[in-house]
Amino acid sequence: MSEAKSDGMKEPKTAPEQPVVVVPRSDLRDDRGPAVSGVVITHEDIDRAHDREQVSATRARHGLRPRLRLFWLLIGPGILVMLGENDGPSMLSYAATGARFGIGFFLPFVVLTFLMACVVQEMTVRLGAATHRGHAELIFDRFGPFWGWFSMIDLMVGNFLTLVTEFIAIRAGLGFFGVPPWVAVLGALLVLSVALMTHRYWTWERIILGAAMFNLVFVPVALLTHPHWEAVGRALLTWKPLPGGITQETVLVLLADIGATVTPWMLFFQQSAIADKGLTTRDIRFGRVDTVLGAALATVAALATMLATAALFTHHMSTANFEAAEFAQALQPFIGHWGAALFALGIFEAGMVAAITISTSSAYAFGEVARRPHSLNLPFRQGRSFYLVLLLEAAAAAGLVLIPGIPLVYVVLLVNVIAVLAMPPALLFLYMLVNDREIMGDLISPLWANVLALGVVIVLIGAGLLFGISVIAPNALALVGGR
Amino acid sequence: MEKQFDSEPAENVTREELTSVMTALEPDQIIFAKEHHHCPRRELTRTEMILFWALRIYLVFMVGVVVYQIWTGAR
Repeated sequence: MSEAKSDGMKEPKTAPEQPVVVVPRSDLRDDRGPAVSGVVITHEDIDRAHDREQVSATRARHGLRPRLRLFWLLIGPGILVMLGENDGPSMLSYAATGARFGIGFFLPFVVLTFLMACVVQEMTVRLGAATHRGHAELIFDRFGPFWGWFSMIDLMVGNFLTLVTEFIAIRAGLGFFGVPPWVAVLGALLVLSVALMTHRYWTWERIILGAAMFNLVFVPVALLTHPHWEAVGRALLTWKPLPGGITQETVLVLLADIGATVTPWMLFFQQSAIADKGLTTRDIRFGRVDTVLGAALATVAALATMLATAALFTHHMSTANFEAAEFAQALQPFIGHWGAALFALGIFEAGMVAAITISTSSAYAFGEVARRPHSLNLPFRQGRSFYLVLLLEAAAAAGLVLIPGIPLVYVVLLVNVIAVLAMPPALLFLYMLVNDREIMGDLISPLWANVLALGVVIVLIGAGLLFGISVIAPNALALVGGR
Repeated sequence: MEKQFDSEPAENVTREELTSVMTALEPDQIIFAKEHHHCPRRELTRTEMILFWALRIYLVFMVGVVVYQIWTGAR
């Protein structure tokens, strides 16, 4: 990291009645840190150091078992962010896609969107490991508050809207089992609060990872529909044209599926989680594997969801205004009650895990910008503002969901569209930070990574403009081969 | 944005915990270091500034398109 900024600083608050440990600066191993006379140790430091000691001890051992254990210790943020993004609106987008358009075009398209997500999230791995700082903090520090606040507003608005749809998914998923909406929403808030009570990043991460794995419940649901594997293979290898051509509806679904895999909150969450977990530049390789593994698992779940609802497309069922529970009910004749119940549980889980990760990304960003303590390693008393932002945002979104008559699928698709539209500005910040030699040193992006990132930005802007044309001048779609 | 973090110091830190923090964490991972050490602000070039504004205008315009679609959808 670069020179310390000495102006405008104040001494950290210390409570005189508490025994404070101040370590002479000379006790630190090198001089890369700030030019101050001593170091105050916090609870967060102790917890993080404990986790890092385990990593160092495991890394020092040789053999397959220590290697696997090291992998186990270092994975987490990548899988969480990818399976977290397979959230309520995403799974509903995939379900709507499979039911309305089948698999010919969209199976390979979804694989492509997850490849784009890998390209983007890999940059956050390097950035987090090299700087040990969250995304919002770096944007504010490097580009100043003017651009920083734009970025924060994008994030907070996007996160809040997405959180609303997560609670819609939770309500709809549990609605299949006859759970009243207020019970579903309050229960979800309770689960979210209980997960936070661990006050340890590591424990929280393992609990949410376990819950996120339940996203794969869509695989047995897809198997119950007895997919035609030859057709699936052909769809993946040949990439058939868009069914029905380019229309306003297909453009909306295209954007919703892109927004189901690449969104701004993922950048903020993964980088902050990497800093909170304490990953360093030595762990980048594992961070990449973590991200790719997460993307692979999420792709499998996404494809399975489309395969499951493609049964409705095959049987020519109209699903234009379906809600989550209705997808499960419509699938019941093909997969039985247990299959439909698994589908509904999957929708609930997708909403639940994402509600936790998205509200956490907001809390991290708020803490970084407001310069308040922000870590899942903090006891509630010390991280009060962090936990309150997290819980209050979730509670506000949950409250909105209880308003009756919200057109679920339409809202869900639009929230994903908004996520796609907000991505190019977010990616520009990321691109500039990850190519900033002053903070990244030799870890700046190589040429191939920059070319791929530029490709992602072009695809996202192109998709956004296509959406704009489809809304403002639908007839102009004929110019690009649509109708 | 000159306000610093308000992290509270840990109470009753043992010698082992202290050693653990000093050996297991990189110096710029320690919260105290983060509180006192921020990345300096960088100057944006003219091209970067144009790109930032262009994407900001793109976003505002596209949000307008979404609002228009919701409005027409509601009608």
